[in-house]
Amino acid sequence: MLPLLVGLPLLGVGLYQQVQSSAQSWLDEGLEDTALTLAGQIDTRSGEPRIEISATMDRALRFDRQDDVFYLVLSPSGQVLQGDAGLADLQPRPDARPAGRSWYGDVKLRDRDLRLVQLGHDCGGGSACQILVAETLHKRDALQRQIGTLVALNGAGLALLLALAGWWAIRQGLSPLTGLSAELEHRDLHRLTPLEARLPRELVPLQLAFNRLFERLARAAGAQREFLADAAHQLRTPLTSLQTEIELAMLEPHDQRMDPLLQRLRHRVVRSARLAQQLLSLARAEDRSVDVQQRLDLRDIATESGQDWAHRTLPSDVDLGFELAEAPAQGHAFLLRELLENLIHNAVSYAGSGARITVRCGTDADGSWLEVEDNGPGIPLAERATAMQRFRRGSSATGSGSGLGLAIAADIAARHGGRLDLLDAHAGPGLRARLSLPPQQPAPPAA
Amino acid sequence: MRILLVEDDDHLVETTARALRSQGWVVDCTARGEPVPRSLREDAYDLLILDIGLAGIDGFETLRRVRAEGIAVPVLILTARDAVEDRVRGLEGGADDYLVKPFALTELVARARALVRRSQARTSNQLQLARLRIDQEARRAYIEDEPLALSAREWDVLGFLMARAGKVVPKEHIALASNAWDQGVSDNAIEVCLSRLRAKIEPGGVQLRTVRGLGYLLEEIA
Repeated sequence: MLPLLVGLPLLGVGLYQQVQSSAQSWLDEGLEDTALTLAGQIDTRSGEPRIEISATMDRALRFDRQDDVFYLVLSPSGQVLQGDAGLADLQPRPDARPAGRSWYGDVKLRDRDLRLVQLGHDCGGGSACQILVAETLHKRDALQRQIGTLVALNGAGLALLLALAGWWAIRQGLSPLTGLSAELEHRDLHRLTPLEARLPRELVPLQLAFNRLFERLARAAGAQREFLADAAHQLRTPLTSLQTEIELAMLEPHDQRMDPLLQRLRHRVVRSARLAQQLLSLARAEDRSVDVQQRLDLRDIATESGQDWAHRTLPSDVDLGFELAEAPAQGHAFLLRELLENLIHNAVSYAGSGARITVRCGTDADGSWLEVEDNGPGIPLAERATAMQRFRRGSSATGSGSGLGLAIAADIAARHGGRLDLLDAHAGPGLRARLSLPPQQPAPPAA
Repeated sequence: MRILLVEDDDHLVETTARALRSQGWVVDCTARGEPVPRSLREDAYDLLILDIGLAGIDGFETLRRVRAEGIAVPVLILTARDAVEDRVRGLEGGADDYLVKPFALTELVARARALVRRSQARTSNQLQLARLRIDQEARRAYIEDEPLALSAREWDVLGFLMARAGKVVPKEHIALASNAWDQGVSDNAIEVCLSRLRAKIEPGGVQLRTVRGLGYLLEEIA
């Protein structure tokens, strides 16, 4: 834009000056024509230059629609031969011209601005008569104004057109960039596939650079996930061995006073193992290559979970029950199982002894759902959103959770395009954590 | 009972073997899969406990070779992997059960016992759970050597549950266990039967637990 802003006025001024000077010289020629006509009237035959101008000739010479024309013919010695003697008072008074040469200039005559042409004419004997023709500047001023206005108007019009063209060109040129930014807006660590916006050739290097960046990011994210999964795997075997060792110590004859210590140790190890498991689930929930389109029934997942929980030692008096109905859905069986596992764990940890925990599943108008309800203290409404963030534990939490359970469940729900809601229990105090999955998509036609 | 334990973590082998031995079982250990089919052919094992992550051929391949030789021993797989795909692969490859690390010893022992019992049920008429024993041919149940007085329905249900000990059995399945029941048997009738049965068998060191909404679980008292 800057070159335009500077160049356009400069161009206007240049144009104005050129047109102006052409017009000037054209008018000057008119003035010189008058001087030449006068020169033609000088008679030198008698040896002394003389000039006769008839009244008609005088009128013709002085005829002009707008300006007053003055003329003066001087002998080589400076005597007035004909014309307006007053012209002799011109300021500045130009020098005498040699024969056949003329001079143009702006002069003043008693505070009036005039344009003057002074022409030298051979009057015999090598001396030159001086012919002065001057006119007022009305015509010139009017022309100058007219030219100025025209140039200014045209310049402004041109500027407007250029601005419009520039705006349009920039808009057209940038529209692929707008598309590109919209596409980038939707990117995150899980969507690092190459950009596919159709860009003009000039922008292809930018797109390629972005794609290379994505590739590096995807590799880094993949390495991070892999590390997490590896670390979790590697932790399991030693933890298993530790857990086994402690359990063995509990089975063998030992001092009964050691029992609480052994119980605590075992509890800690189980918790660590569970944390390793949760980190692994987290890594897997974020792995976009996992297929979450498997056709399954949430009831089967809850039943499997129930089989497992039936063998576990629950804290005193915890009553874990199931109310299951058919709940067809699409998802990843392991991840959903892990989600339910976390919800049950959460209920067992926080609801305390004597808790009544119920796992339900079914379908409604919005799709299939799965929920775990307990009759524990629940989570205050204001803390429910933070409860689903990683490593956050409720203000009243006394249990042994890592603070990852609900976050993992929420991650897995989101990974399935579903939602995890923390709701009030159906009746009385307690928490009801509910997974809602979107309705199934119609089955693809059989191949 | 004789068990072959295949696991390559020294520490875990030692503790697991000790735990199994504490049950009065004989346990042989190896860290590699290659010699397993031969060991199984030469000695009469009741159970193979097989880790998936082995040096050399892995657990899946070991299992494949064992089954390829027609050895029908029950197989319990141990693994640090928990992908469903792995579990399916193990079970399709001929494993009978699957335990993900880390596991509780009590769970390992319970699963091992259940597997052996199931395999015995296929080959023998005698089933034992703690001090409770049933003879399927004679249709008699005993605690120690004391016979239990059971009605025909109670006997059918007990036989059904003994073959599925350690699993939660849905009530609808129990309704199918006895011919003595009509098709439209009420939940109430089943519950009455189960509660009578429970009183009779619990002195044998077993318990019949109700898992609310899911079914019934017959297990040893830990």
